[in-house]
Amino acid sequence: MSFGARFLCHPEGFPQRQAGDAWGDRELTLDLPGGPYRVLGLSAAQDAGVRATFPGSLDAGAASGADGGGSPGAAAIPILLLRRAAGDFLPVDVRGWEYGLDFDWSPAAVRLAGLGLVGRLDWLPDRPGMEGALWTPEDGGERFPGVFENFLRVLVAYRLLELGGAVLHSAGVVKDGAAFLFLGRSGAGKTTVARLSLAQGADVLSDDLNAVIAAGSGTAVGSGTAAGWGAAGASRVAGAADTTATATTAGCAVLKLPFTGDLGERRAVRPPVPLGGLLRLEQAEADALVPLSRAETLACLLACTPFVNRDPHRRERLEQVLLALAAAAAPHAYTLRFSLHGGFWSIIKRK
Amino acid sequence: MNDIGGGSVLRRRPDVRFRVIDEEGVVVRQSAGEVLVLNDLGTRILAMADGLTPLARWIDSLLGEFDVERAQLERDVVAFAEELVAQGLLEPLPAAAPAAAAGAPGSGGGGR
Repeated sequence: MSFGARFLCHPEGFPQRQAGDAWGDRELTLDLPGGPYRVLGLSAAQDAGVRATFPGSLDAGAASGADGGGSPGAAAIPILLLRRAAGDFLPVDVRGWEYGLDFDWSPAAVRLAGLGLVGRLDWLPDRPGMEGALWTPEDGGERFPGVFENFLRVLVAYRLLELGGAVLHSAGVVKDGAAFLFLGRSGAGKTTVARLSLAQGADVLSDDLNAVIAAGSGTAVGSGTAAGWGAAGASRVAGAADTTATATTAGCAVLKLPFTGDLGERRAVRPPVPLGGLLRLEQAEADALVPLSRAETLACLLACTPFVNRDPHRRERLEQVLLALAAAAAPHAYTLRFSLHGGFWSIIKRK
Repeated sequence: MNDIGGGSVLRRRPDVRFRVIDEEGVVVRQSAGEVLVLNDLGTRILAMADGLTPLARWIDSLLGEFDVERAQLERDVVAFAEELVAQGLLEPLPAAAPAAAAGAPGSGGGGR
């Protein structure tokens, strides 16, 4: 099936560039890894929907009623909210259906289509950076936050890749000051592991998507203080030119994303947490840790990088980033065979 | 089941790329987002599937690398090749097609 044909009445009419009728004149800035992201053209209802969905990620300036400007020293990634008629979308029976977006890739752009969603990511020809546009018929209401989040997940994944990081399908759990990423696709047991970890006093970042920055990727993260992390200018993953950042060459850092499954607190913000280990999930009768080779680690990471891992134009970049991560994590990369008894933390601690 | 034998010529599918790390092959089927790890024999087979070299020549090369009887090696390689075809990593070419396949876009994609 050709691109967009599952969702759009006329996929051939997909926007050729980021232009159209804005929903409104509201703006806000989201302080997420890879950002800040400046959302433009929101209606009042959409503005309220984004604020309610990502309250912990609102830029301090925006939250205090200022103009919502981006973090000092960092160019904000713009996201345009544009109108699209509901009649442009095909009716889709979603019963028993596993939802996945449609993608179309080119060197300078990524096009995506989904339920109530037409989107573009465009790389700028004359300078580093990218910009996004989301066309939707949803003016607030129940469905808008989901549409917006689906678009934002893709944008953040691409932005982090550009900066030397990755978004990983994983349960991120913080224990004793280190973040452990339990890797696996849907059904692997991420939420189960997160739930079992919560019961043992650990913190869960997200049971679905977490961000990681590889050592040696040339990428840096913010200052890492709890106060700074949520504030403008401190939360972004910044390029090497960012003089306010602290390099993570000594190890890898895990960044909380407000994209969760059933568990994880999307309101909370956290400083980056040093990576404690990569654990590929495998459900079993008894708990065990089996070391992963570098090739197995890379394969696992490639399988768990949503959206970007099917893009033929960015595969070299993705492999570079994940190879660096696999190399840095090599002593702490395992297959975790876990049972429902929750005893796996005792063997992780022994390692 | 594909009819693969010593005269068969196979090539990697255009959306397949792989790289070797510590003698293991990491194989990606880009279109499906699927990733596999192959052992050293699987990695060697994937590297030799260039759309030009018949399978019998693979056996000749591998005989010098593995301590095994030719007949056994041939059985193993054919079985492995069939498995890789079934998994969508390799595709057989018609007998007269190897020369045309040499310039096929994307048929390389890896082996680094």
